[in-house]
Amino acid sequence: MEAVNRRSFLIKGSVGAVGAAGVVAGGLKLSQAGDEPEAGLSSGELSELPGPVLLSVRDAATGEVEVLVDEREVVFTDRALVAKVLRAAR
Amino acid sequence: MSSHREAPGISKDPVADNTDTYAFVTPNNTVTIITNYLPVEAPAGGPNFYEFGSDVTYQINIDNDGDGRADVTYQFTFETLTTNPNTFLYNTGTIDRLDSPNWNRRQRYTVTKITENGRRKTLARRVPCPPCNIGPRSTPNYAALADAAVTRLPDGERVFAGQRAEGFFVDLGSVFDLATLRPFQSLHLIPTANAAGVDALAQANVHTIAIEVPIPKVTKRGRVPTDPMDRSSTIGVWGAAYRQRATLRGFDPDGNTFEGGGAVGPWIQVSRLGNPLFNEVIVPLARKDEWNAKLPHRDSGFARFVAQPELAKLLPALYPGVFPNLAGLTADRADLLAILLTGIPPGLIDGFQNFTGDTQADLLRLNLAIPPSASPNRLGLLGGDLAGFPNGRRVSDDVVTIELRAVAGATYPLVDSTFTPDAAVVGDNAIEDGTFNNPGRTFLDRFPYLGVPYSGYEVPAA
Repeated sequence: MEAVNRRSFLIKGSVGAVGAAGVVAGGLKLSQAGDEPEAGLSSGELSELPGPVLLSVRDAATGEVEVLVDEREVVFTDRALVAKVLRAAR
Repeated sequence: MSSHREAPGISKDPVADNTDTYAFVTPNNTVTIITNYLPVEAPAGGPNFYEFGSDVTYQINIDNDGDGRADVTYQFTFETLTTNPNTFLYNTGTIDRLDSPNWNRRQRYTVTKITENGRRKTLARRVPCPPCNIGPRSTPNYAALADAAVTRLPDGERVFAGQRAEGFFVDLGSVFDLATLRPFQSLHLIPTANAAGVDALAQANVHTIAIEVPIPKVTKRGRVPTDPMDRSSTIGVWGAAYRQRATLRGFDPDGNTFEGGGAVGPWIQVSRLGNPLFNEVIVPLARKDEWNAKLPHRDSGFARFVAQPELAKLLPALYPGVFPNLAGLTADRADLLAILLTGIPPGLIDGFQNFTGDTQADLLRLNLAIPPSASPNRLGLLGGDLAGFPNGRRVSDDVVTIELRAVAGATYPLVDSTFTPDAAVVGDNAIEDGTFNNPGRTFLDRFPYLGVPYSGYEVPAA
Protein backbone atom coordinates (compact mmCIF):
# COMPACT_ATOMS: atom_id res chain seq x y z
CA MET A 1 0.00 0.00 0.00
CA GLU A 2 2.80 2.42 0.80
CA ALA A 3 4.28 2.24 -2.69
CA VAL A 4 0.94 2.76 -4.34
CA ASN A 5 0.09 5.56 -1.98
CA ARG A 6 2.84 7.75 -3.38
CA ARG A 7 2.15 7.07 -6.99
CA SER A 8 0.94 9.93 -9.08
CA PHE A 9 -1.47 9.63 -11.94
CA LEU A 10 -1.47 11.81 -14.91
CA ILE A 11 -4.69 12.99 -16.38
CA LYS A 12 -3.80 14.28 -19.79
CA GLY A 13 -4.99 17.60 -21.03
CA SER A 14 -7.25 15.73 -23.41
CA VAL A 15 -8.73 13.85 -20.46
CA GLY A 16 -10.02 11.06 -22.64
CA ALA A 17 -7.12 8.70 -22.15
CA VAL A 18 -7.54 8.59 -18.38
CA GLY A 19 -11.11 9.66 -18.23
CA ALA A 20 -11.97 7.23 -15.49
CA ALA A 21 -10.69 9.60 -12.87
CA GLY A 22 -13.08 12.26 -14.04
CA VAL A 23 -11.32 15.20 -12.37
CA VAL A 24 -11.62 18.53 -14.10
CA ALA A 25 -10.13 21.95 -13.61
CA GLY A 26 -12.05 24.84 -12.18
CA GLY A 27 -14.71 23.45 -9.91
CA LEU A 28 -12.93 20.12 -9.77
CA LYS A 29 -16.17 18.19 -10.03
CA LEU A 30 -15.97 14.48 -9.64
CA SER A 31 -17.71 12.37 -12.17
CA GLN A 32 -20.20 9.98 -10.68
CA ALA A 33 -20.60 8.16 -13.94
CA GLY A 34 -18.77 5.05 -15.01
CA ASP A 35 -15.77 4.68 -17.24
CA GLU A 36 -17.08 6.60 -20.21
CA PRO A 37 -14.68 9.45 -20.81
CA GLU A 38 -17.32 11.46 -22.65
CA ALA A 39 -19.51 11.43 -19.57
CA GLY A 40 -17.24 13.69 -17.55
CA LEU A 41 -16.76 16.91 -19.45
CA SER A 42 -18.53 18.99 -21.98
CA SER A 43 -16.57 20.32 -24.93
CA GLY A 44 -16.73 23.75 -23.37
CA GLU A 45 -15.21 22.49 -20.15
CA LEU A 46 -12.51 20.70 -22.10
CA SER A 47 -11.52 23.88 -23.87
CA GLU A 48 -11.14 25.64 -20.54
CA LEU A 49 -8.45 23.31 -19.23
CA PRO A 50 -5.45 25.55 -18.44
CA GLY A 51 -2.81 22.92 -19.20
CA PRO A 52 -1.67 19.76 -17.50
CA VAL A 53 -3.72 18.46 -14.61
CA LEU A 54 -2.04 16.10 -12.19
CA LEU A 55 -3.82 13.94 -9.66
CA SER A 56 -1.89 12.48 -6.76
CA VAL A 57 -3.22 10.09 -4.16
CA ARG A 58 -1.94 11.47 -0.87
CA ASP A 59 -3.45 8.87 1.39
CA ALA A 60 -5.20 5.85 -0.05
CA ALA A 61 -6.62 4.82 3.30
CA THR A 62 -8.51 8.06 3.84
CA GLY A 63 -9.13 8.77 0.17
CA GLU A 64 -7.23 12.05 0.25
CA VAL A 65 -6.44 13.27 -3.22
CA GLU A 66 -4.43 16.23 -4.42
CA VAL A 67 -4.96 17.84 -7.79
CA LEU A 68 -2.35 20.14 -9.27
CA VAL A 69 -3.71 22.48 -11.89
CA ASP A 70 -2.27 25.69 -13.30
CA GLU A 71 -0.47 27.31 -10.32
CA ARG A 72 -2.78 25.79 -7.70
CA GLU A 73 -3.27 22.67 -5.66
CA VAL A 74 -6.65 21.44 -4.50
CA VAL A 75 -7.03 18.74 -1.87
CA PHE A 76 -10.20 16.77 -1.37
CA THR A 77 -11.34 13.39 -0.10
CA ASP A 78 -13.08 10.77 -2.23
CA ARG A 79 -12.49 7.15 -1.24
CA ALA A 80 -14.48 5.82 -4.18
CA LEU A 81 -12.40 7.80 -6.63
CA VAL A 82 -9.17 6.63 -5.03
CA ALA A 83 -10.33 3.04 -5.16
CA LYS A 84 -11.19 3.41 -8.83
CA VAL A 85 -7.85 4.98 -9.64
CA LEU A 86 -5.88 2.36 -7.77
CA ARG A 87 -7.77 -0.47 -9.43
CA ALA A 88 -7.01 1.08 -12.81
CA ALA A 89 -3.35 1.24 -11.90
CA ARG A 90 -3.04 -2.46 -11.16
CA MET B 1 31.39 27.68 -1.39
CA SER B 2 29.01 30.42 -0.38
CA SER B 3 26.09 28.38 -1.66
CA HIS B 4 27.25 26.76 -4.86
CA ARG B 5 25.85 23.25 -5.14
CA GLU B 6 25.63 23.31 -1.36
CA ALA B 7 22.75 20.85 -0.93
CA PRO B 8 22.15 17.47 -2.55
CA GLY B 9 18.88 18.46 -4.18
CA ILE B 10 19.75 21.85 -5.60
CA SER B 11 23.17 20.66 -6.77
CA LYS B 12 21.28 18.87 -9.55
CA ASP B 13 19.32 21.98 -10.55
CA PRO B 14 21.88 24.69 -11.40
CA VAL B 15 19.53 27.23 -12.96
CA ALA B 16 17.65 27.47 -9.66
CA ASP B 17 20.74 27.29 -7.43
CA ASN B 18 21.21 30.61 -5.65
CA THR B 19 24.97 30.88 -5.17
CA ASP B 20 25.44 34.29 -3.55
CA THR B 21 23.40 37.21 -2.33
CA TYR B 22 24.83 40.70 -1.87
CA ALA B 23 23.22 43.84 -0.46
CA PHE B 24 24.98 47.16 0.08
CA VAL B 25 24.26 50.85 0.17
CA THR B 26 25.15 52.60 -3.07
CA PRO B 27 25.33 56.25 -4.14
CA ASN B 28 22.35 58.57 -4.47
CA ASN B 29 20.41 56.97 -1.60
CA THR B 30 20.09 53.61 -3.29
CA VAL B 31 20.63 50.05 -2.20
CA THR B 32 21.94 47.44 -4.60
CA ILE B 33 20.93 43.82 -4.20
CA ILE B 34 22.51 41.07 -6.26
CA THR B 35 21.60 37.40 -6.41
CA ASN B 36 23.60 34.90 -8.43
CA TYR B 37 22.62 31.58 -9.97
CA LEU B 38 24.22 28.84 -12.10
CA PRO B 39 27.30 27.93 -10.08
CA VAL B 40 30.74 27.40 -11.57
CA GLU B 41 29.94 28.20 -15.19
CA ALA B 42 32.77 27.14 -17.47
CA PRO B 43 33.13 30.11 -19.84
CA ALA B 44 33.46 27.76 -22.82
CA GLY B 45 29.86 26.69 -22.40
CA GLY B 46 28.89 26.17 -26.03
CA PRO B 47 26.98 25.15 -27.92
CA ASN B 48 24.29 25.58 -25.28
CA PHE B 49 25.53 28.58 -23.39
CA TYR B 50 24.19 29.20 -19.91
CA GLU B 51 20.84 30.85 -19.34
CA PHE B 52 18.23 31.40 -16.65
CA GLY B 53 15.40 28.92 -16.24
CA SER B 54 12.27 30.04 -17.99
CA ASP B 55 10.40 27.62 -15.71
CA VAL B 56 11.89 29.15 -12.56
CA THR B 57 10.66 32.19 -10.64
CA TYR B 58 13.47 34.21 -9.10
CA GLN B 59 12.87 36.60 -6.23
CA ILE B 60 14.73 39.18 -4.22
CA ASN B 61 12.91 39.32 -0.90
CA ILE B 62 13.15 42.17 1.59
CA ASP B 63 11.90 42.11 5.19
CA ASN B 64 11.62 45.60 6.69
CA ASP B 65 9.79 44.89 9.94
CA GLY B 66 11.79 42.07 11.49
CA ASP B 67 9.34 39.20 11.18
CA GLY B 68 11.44 37.22 8.70
CA ARG B 69 8.77 37.53 6.02
CA ALA B 70 8.99 39.48 2.81
CA ASP B 71 7.44 42.95 2.81
CA VAL B 72 8.83 43.96 -0.56
CA THR B 73 9.67 41.45 -3.28
CA TYR B 74 11.15 41.94 -6.70
CA GLN B 75 10.25 38.98 -8.89
CA PHE B 76 12.03 38.09 -12.12
CA THR B 77 10.65 35.65 -14.68
CA PHE B 78 12.33 34.81 -17.96
CA GLU B 79 11.30 33.75 -21.41
CA THR B 80 13.63 32.16 -23.90
CA LEU B 81 13.45 32.76 -27.63
CA THR B 82 14.99 30.72 -30.42
CA THR B 83 14.84 32.98 -33.44
CA ASN B 84 16.36 30.73 -36.10
CA PRO B 85 14.99 27.17 -36.16
CA ASN B 86 17.43 26.06 -38.84
CA THR B 87 20.78 26.32 -37.10
CA PHE B 88 22.52 24.45 -34.32
CA LEU B 89 24.42 27.61 -33.39
CA TYR B 90 23.91 30.06 -30.55
CA ASN B 91 24.85 32.80 -32.98
CA THR B 92 25.42 32.86 -36.72
CA GLY B 93 27.59 35.98 -36.79
CA THR B 94 28.85 38.76 -34.60
CA ILE B 95 26.47 39.91 -31.87
CA ASP B 96 27.06 43.64 -31.78
CA ARG B 97 23.78 44.75 -30.26
CA LEU B 98 21.02 43.28 -28.14
CA ASP B 99 18.64 43.00 -31.10
CA SER B 100 21.22 41.50 -33.42
CA PRO B 101 19.64 39.11 -35.95
CA ASN B 102 22.76 36.94 -35.62
CA TRP B 103 21.83 35.97 -32.07
CA ASN B 104 19.72 32.84 -32.12
CA ARG B 105 19.09 31.99 -28.47
CA ARG B 106 18.17 34.92 -26.29
CA GLN B 107 16.31 35.69 -23.09
CA ARG B 108 14.20 38.55 -21.81
CA TYR B 109 12.42 39.01 -18.55
CA THR B 110 9.57 40.56 -16.63
CA VAL B 111 10.09 42.41 -13.36
CA THR B 112 7.21 42.42 -10.90
CA LYS B 113 7.10 44.13 -7.53
CA ILE B 114 5.05 42.49 -4.79
CA THR B 115 4.26 44.34 -1.60
CA GLU B 116 3.21 43.08 1.80
CA ASN B 117 -0.47 42.71 1.08
CA GLY B 118 0.26 40.68 -2.00
CA ARG B 119 -0.32 43.55 -4.38
CA ARG B 120 1.54 42.97 -7.62
CA LYS B 121 2.80 45.62 -9.98
CA THR B 122 4.55 44.76 -13.21
CA LEU B 123 7.46 47.17 -13.48
CA ALA B 124 8.72 46.11 -16.90
CA ARG B 125 8.24 43.46 -19.54
CA ARG B 126 10.56 42.11 -22.22
CA VAL B 127 13.72 43.48 -20.61
CA PRO B 128 16.66 42.06 -22.58
CA CYS B 129 19.44 39.94 -21.14
CA PRO B 130 22.86 40.19 -22.76
CA PRO B 131 24.29 37.11 -24.45
CA CYS B 132 26.98 35.04 -22.80
CA ASN B 133 30.54 36.16 -23.46
CA ILE B 134 31.58 33.83 -26.26
CA GLY B 135 34.74 35.24 -27.77
CA PRO B 136 36.30 38.01 -29.86
CA ARG B 137 34.47 37.09 -33.05
CA SER B 138 31.03 36.53 -31.64
CA THR B 139 30.97 39.14 -28.86
CA PRO B 140 33.90 41.46 -29.65
CA ASN B 141 32.77 44.41 -27.52
CA TYR B 142 31.22 42.51 -24.70
CA ALA B 143 31.45 45.12 -21.94
CA ALA B 144 29.46 47.66 -23.96
CA LEU B 145 27.00 44.99 -25.07
CA ALA B 146 26.31 44.04 -21.46
CA ASP B 147 26.13 47.68 -20.38
CA ALA B 148 23.29 48.12 -22.84
CA ALA B 149 21.34 45.54 -20.87
CA VAL B 150 21.34 47.72 -17.74
CA THR B 151 17.80 48.99 -17.75
CA ARG B 152 16.20 51.86 -15.88
CA LEU B 153 12.65 51.10 -14.80
CA PRO B 154 9.90 53.73 -14.74
CA ASP B 155 9.68 53.63 -10.93
CA GLY B 156 13.37 54.49 -10.49
CA GLU B 157 14.95 51.07 -10.09
CA ARG B 158 17.74 49.82 -12.34
CA VAL B 159 18.01 46.16 -13.25
CA PHE B 160 20.43 43.80 -14.92
CA ALA B 161 20.10 40.08 -15.54
CA GLY B 162 22.78 38.12 -17.33
CA GLN B 163 26.21 36.57 -17.19
CA ARG B 164 28.92 38.04 -14.96
CA ALA B 165 32.34 37.04 -13.71
CA GLU B 166 32.14 35.13 -10.44
CA GLY B 167 32.84 37.49 -7.55
CA PHE B 168 33.03 34.93 -4.79
CA PHE B 169 36.43 33.46 -3.98
CA VAL B 170 37.40 30.44 -1.97
CA ASP B 171 39.99 27.68 -1.94
CA LEU B 172 37.38 25.03 -2.48
CA GLY B 173 39.88 22.31 -3.22
CA SER B 174 41.52 22.65 0.15
CA VAL B 175 38.72 23.60 2.53
CA PHE B 176 36.77 20.48 1.72
CA ASP B 177 39.90 18.39 2.07
CA LEU B 178 39.48 18.17 5.83
CA ALA B 179 39.33 21.95 6.33
CA THR B 180 42.81 22.54 4.99
CA LEU B 181 43.94 26.16 4.83
CA ARG B 182 46.94 26.05 2.53
CA PRO B 183 48.76 29.03 4.11
CA PHE B 184 48.61 27.22 7.47
CA GLN B 185 48.59 23.59 6.43
CA SER B 186 51.87 22.82 8.18
CA LEU B 187 49.80 23.05 11.37
CA HIS B 188 47.17 20.59 10.12
CA LEU B 189 46.73 17.17 11.68
CA ILE B 190 48.02 15.82 8.36
CA PRO B 191 50.70 18.43 7.68
CA THR B 192 52.27 19.55 4.45
CA ALA B 193 54.35 22.60 3.64
CA ASN B 194 52.49 25.89 3.70
CA ALA B 195 51.38 27.20 0.31
CA ALA B 196 49.42 30.02 -1.23
CA GLY B 197 45.66 29.67 -1.46
CA VAL B 198 44.12 28.63 -4.77
CA ASP B 199 40.85 30.30 -5.77
CA ALA B 200 38.76 27.51 -7.26
CA LEU B 201 36.39 30.04 -8.87
CA ALA B 202 39.09 32.28 -10.32
CA GLN B 203 37.89 31.98 -13.91
CA ALA B 204 34.28 30.93 -13.54
CA ASN B 205 31.16 32.85 -14.46
CA VAL B 206 27.70 33.04 -12.92
CA HIS B 207 24.33 34.41 -13.92
CA THR B 208 23.39 37.55 -12.02
CA ILE B 209 20.11 39.20 -11.19
CA ALA B 210 20.85 42.68 -9.86
CA ILE B 211 18.63 45.57 -8.87
CA GLU B 212 19.41 49.06 -7.65
CA VAL B 213 16.51 50.44 -5.66
CA PRO B 214 15.89 53.89 -4.19
CA ILE B 215 16.10 53.27 -0.45
CA PRO B 216 12.65 54.71 0.39
CA LYS B 217 11.11 51.93 -1.69
CA VAL B 218 12.37 49.22 0.66
CA THR B 219 12.01 50.76 4.11
CA LYS B 220 8.99 50.48 6.32
CA ARG B 221 8.65 54.23 6.73
CA GLY B 222 9.34 55.02 3.10
CA ARG B 223 12.30 57.24 3.97
CA VAL B 224 16.07 57.17 3.83
CA PRO B 225 17.19 56.16 7.33
CA THR B 226 19.75 58.44 8.96
CA ASP B 227 20.04 57.01 12.48
CA PRO B 228 22.02 53.76 12.59
CA MET B 229 20.66 52.98 16.05
CA ASP B 230 17.04 53.08 14.92
CA ARG B 231 15.85 49.53 14.47
CA SER B 232 13.82 50.46 11.41
CA SER B 233 17.06 51.39 9.64
CA THR B 234 17.81 47.72 9.01
CA ILE B 235 16.36 45.51 6.31
CA GLY B 236 16.77 41.77 5.89
CA VAL B 237 17.42 40.43 2.41
CA TRP B 238 17.39 36.99 0.85
CA GLY B 239 17.30 35.63 -2.65
CA ALA B 240 15.22 32.62 -3.55
CA ALA B 241 14.18 30.51 -6.50
CA TYR B 242 10.90 28.69 -6.93
CA ARG B 243 9.65 25.87 -9.13
CA GLN B 244 6.17 24.53 -9.62
CA ARG B 245 5.37 21.36 -7.69
CA ALA B 246 5.48 18.97 -10.63
CA THR B 247 6.89 18.77 -14.13
CA LEU B 248 5.34 16.47 -16.69
CA ARG B 249 7.61 15.49 -19.54
CA GLY B 250 5.77 16.05 -22.79
CA PHE B 251 6.88 12.73 -24.28
CA ASP B 252 5.64 9.22 -23.75
CA PRO B 253 8.05 6.26 -23.40
CA ASP B 254 8.09 5.86 -27.20
CA GLY B 255 9.20 9.43 -27.68
CA ASN B 256 5.87 10.67 -28.95
CA THR B 257 4.80 14.11 -27.85
CA PHE B 258 1.46 14.50 -26.16
CA GLU B 259 -0.72 17.29 -24.98
CA GLY B 260 -0.37 18.16 -21.33
CA GLY B 261 3.38 18.37 -20.74
CA GLY B 262 4.78 21.17 -18.65
CA ALA B 263 5.00 22.41 -15.10
CA VAL B 264 1.96 22.49 -12.87
CA GLY B 265 1.00 23.33 -9.32
CA PRO B 266 1.88 26.02 -6.82
CA TRP B 267 5.35 27.52 -6.71
CA ILE B 268 7.68 25.89 -4.19
CA GLN B 269 10.89 27.39 -2.85
CA VAL B 270 13.82 25.23 -3.98
CA SER B 271 16.78 27.46 -3.11
CA ARG B 272 17.46 30.47 -0.92
CA LEU B 273 20.35 32.47 0.42
CA GLY B 274 20.74 35.20 3.00
CA ASN B 275 24.05 34.96 4.81
CA PRO B 276 26.85 33.36 2.83
CA LEU B 277 27.81 29.84 3.84
CA PHE B 278 24.83 29.32 6.18
CA ASN B 279 23.51 26.23 4.46
CA GLU B 280 26.97 25.27 3.26
CA VAL B 281 28.78 25.19 6.58
CA ILE B 282 26.20 25.40 9.37
CA VAL B 283 23.36 23.09 8.34
CA PRO B 284 24.01 19.33 8.44
CA LEU B 285 24.05 17.58 5.09
CA ALA B 286 20.96 15.56 5.92
CA ARG B 287 18.89 18.73 6.40
CA LYS B 288 20.23 20.99 3.64
CA ASP B 289 17.41 20.26 1.21
CA GLU B 290 14.87 20.92 3.95
CA TRP B 291 16.55 24.23 4.71
CA ASN B 292 16.33 25.28 1.08
CA ALA B 293 12.59 24.61 1.11
CA LYS B 294 11.89 26.32 4.45
CA LEU B 295 10.95 29.97 4.69
CA PRO B 296 13.36 32.11 6.73
CA HIS B 297 10.89 32.95 9.50
CA ARG B 298 10.95 29.26 10.42
CA ASP B 299 14.73 29.12 10.91
CA SER B 300 14.58 28.71 14.69
CA GLY B 301 14.67 24.98 14.03
CA PHE B 302 18.21 25.39 12.76
CA ALA B 303 19.42 27.65 15.57
CA ARG B 304 21.08 24.84 17.47
CA PHE B 305 23.48 24.30 14.59
CA VAL B 306 24.46 27.96 14.84
CA ALA B 307 24.74 27.82 18.62
CA GLN B 308 27.03 24.79 18.47
CA PRO B 309 28.65 24.95 15.03
CA GLU B 310 30.33 21.77 13.90
CA LEU B 311 33.24 23.68 12.39
CA ALA B 312 34.13 25.16 15.79
CA LYS B 313 34.66 21.63 17.07
CA LEU B 314 36.55 20.45 14.01
CA LEU B 315 39.15 23.21 14.01
CA PRO B 316 40.78 22.28 17.35
CA ALA B 317 40.82 18.63 16.31
CA LEU B 318 42.28 19.24 12.86
CA TYR B 319 44.82 21.85 13.99
CA PRO B 320 46.21 20.39 17.23
CA GLY B 321 47.27 23.00 19.72
CA VAL B 322 46.28 25.96 17.53
CA PHE B 323 42.84 26.64 19.02
CA PRO B 324 43.04 25.90 22.76
CA ASN B 325 40.64 28.66 23.78
CA LEU B 326 38.13 27.67 21.11
CA ALA B 327 38.36 24.08 22.29
CA GLY B 328 37.38 25.21 25.76
CA LEU B 329 34.42 27.25 24.54
CA THR B 330 31.40 25.07 25.19
CA ALA B 331 28.71 27.70 25.73
CA ASP B 332 26.15 28.42 23.04
CA ARG B 333 27.51 30.88 20.53
CA ALA B 334 25.38 33.92 21.24
CA ASP B 335 27.65 35.91 18.94
CA LEU B 336 26.87 33.73 15.93
CA LEU B 337 23.18 33.53 16.78
CA ALA B 338 23.09 37.32 16.66
CA ILE B 339 25.19 37.73 13.52
CA LEU B 340 23.32 35.13 11.49
CA LEU B 341 19.79 34.91 12.88
CA THR B 342 18.68 38.14 14.58
CA GLY B 343 21.22 40.80 13.73
CA ILE B 344 23.69 42.39 16.12
CA PRO B 345 21.85 44.25 18.89
CA PRO B 346 22.82 47.72 20.12
CA GLY B 347 25.54 47.95 22.74
CA LEU B 348 27.98 45.42 21.32
CA ILE B 349 29.69 47.57 18.68
CA ASP B 350 30.00 51.33 19.13
CA GLY B 351 27.63 53.20 16.85
CA PHE B 352 26.28 50.10 15.20
CA GLN B 353 23.47 47.61 15.28
CA ASN B 354 21.54 45.66 12.68
CA PHE B 355 19.16 43.92 15.04
CA THR B 356 15.78 43.15 13.55
CA GLY B 357 14.06 41.55 16.56
CA ASP B 358 13.70 38.19 18.19
CA THR B 359 12.54 36.27 15.12
CA GLN B 360 15.37 33.97 14.15
CA ALA B 361 15.79 34.05 10.40
CA ASP B 362 18.78 33.70 8.11
CA LEU B 363 18.67 37.10 6.44
CA LEU B 364 21.42 39.29 5.10
CA ARG B 365 20.83 42.27 7.37
CA LEU B 366 21.80 45.70 6.14
CA ASN B 367 21.65 48.87 8.20
CA LEU B 368 20.79 51.43 5.55
CA ALA B 369 21.85 54.36 7.72
CA ILE B 370 25.49 53.29 7.49
CA PRO B 371 26.97 55.06 4.44
CA PRO B 372 29.30 53.30 2.03
CA SER B 373 32.91 53.17 3.18
CA ALA B 374 35.43 55.35 1.36
CA SER B 375 38.08 52.67 1.84
CA PRO B 376 36.40 49.28 2.22
CA ASN B 377 38.09 46.72 4.44
CA ARG B 378 37.80 43.17 3.11
CA LEU B 379 37.05 41.95 6.64
CA GLY B 380 34.00 44.18 7.05
CA LEU B 381 32.95 44.52 10.67
CA LEU B 382 35.89 42.38 11.79
CA GLY B 383 38.15 44.98 10.17
CA GLY B 384 36.30 47.90 11.74
CA ASP B 385 34.40 48.73 8.54
CA LEU B 386 30.74 49.12 9.49
CA ALA B 387 29.65 49.09 5.84
CA GLY B 388 30.81 45.54 5.22
CA PHE B 389 29.69 42.03 6.03
CA PRO B 390 27.87 41.10 8.20
CA ASN B 391 26.29 44.49 7.74
CA GLY B 392 24.99 43.52 4.33
CA ARG B 393 27.61 42.17 1.98
CA ARG B 394 29.67 43.88 -0.70
CA VAL B 395 30.97 42.03 -3.73
CA SER B 396 34.58 42.20 -2.52
CA ASP B 397 34.04 41.25 1.11
CA ASP B 398 36.16 38.27 2.14
CA VAL B 399 33.26 36.38 3.66
CA VAL B 400 35.12 33.08 3.91
CA THR B 401 37.78 34.60 6.13
CA ILE B 402 35.26 36.65 8.12
CA GLU B 403 33.08 33.65 8.89
CA LEU B 404 36.04 31.34 9.47
CA ARG B 405 37.46 33.67 12.08
CA ALA B 406 34.05 34.35 13.61
CA VAL B 407 33.31 30.65 14.02
CA ALA B 408 36.83 30.19 15.41
CA GLY B 409 36.00 32.62 18.21
CA ALA B 410 36.97 36.08 16.96
CA THR B 411 33.51 37.51 17.63
CA TYR B 412 32.75 35.75 20.89
CA PRO B 413 34.19 38.61 23.00
CA LEU B 414 31.25 40.70 21.77
CA VAL B 415 29.05 38.69 24.12
CA ASP B 416 31.63 37.56 26.72
CA SER B 417 34.42 40.01 27.45
CA THR B 418 36.27 37.41 29.52
CA PHE B 419 36.91 35.23 26.47
CA THR B 420 40.26 35.64 24.75
CA PRO B 421 40.33 34.49 21.14
CA ASP B 422 43.19 32.26 20.10
CA ALA B 423 46.19 33.95 18.52
CA ALA B 424 45.32 32.15 15.29
CA VAL B 425 42.19 34.25 14.76
CA VAL B 426 43.44 37.75 15.51
CA GLY B 427 46.17 39.94 14.12
CA ASP B 428 47.94 40.14 10.80
CA ASN B 429 48.75 36.44 10.64
CA ALA B 430 45.31 35.12 11.49
CA ILE B 431 43.87 32.18 9.62
CA GLU B 432 42.38 32.56 6.16
CA ASP B 433 42.14 30.49 3.03
CA GLY B 434 44.45 32.86 1.19
CA THR B 435 42.37 33.61 -1.90
CA PHE B 436 41.69 37.33 -1.48
CA ASN B 437 44.71 38.56 -3.40
CA ASN B 438 43.87 37.53 -6.94
CA PRO B 439 44.88 40.24 -9.42
CA GLY B 440 42.82 38.55 -12.12
CA ARG B 441 39.56 39.13 -10.27
CA THR B 442 37.91 42.38 -11.22
CA PHE B 443 34.83 44.21 -10.10
CA LEU B 444 33.09 47.21 -11.58
CA ASP B 445 32.86 50.49 -9.69
CA ARG B 446 29.30 50.88 -10.93
CA PHE B 447 26.13 48.87 -11.27
CA PRO B 448 25.97 45.85 -11.58
CA TYR B 449 29.38 45.78 -9.80
CA LEU B 450 30.36 42.21 -10.71
CA GLY B 451 32.98 42.05 -13.43
CA VAL B 452 32.74 41.37 -17.15
CA PRO B 453 32.37 37.60 -17.58
CA TYR B 454 35.23 35.52 -18.91
CA SER B 455 34.85 34.57 -22.54
CA GLY B 456 34.87 31.00 -23.70
CA TYR B 457 37.58 31.75 -26.23
CA GLU B 458 39.93 33.23 -23.64
CA VAL B 459 39.19 30.69 -20.89
CA PRO B 460 38.65 27.43 -22.72
CA ALA B 461 38.79 25.41 -19.51
CA ALA B 462 37.58 26.57 -16.12
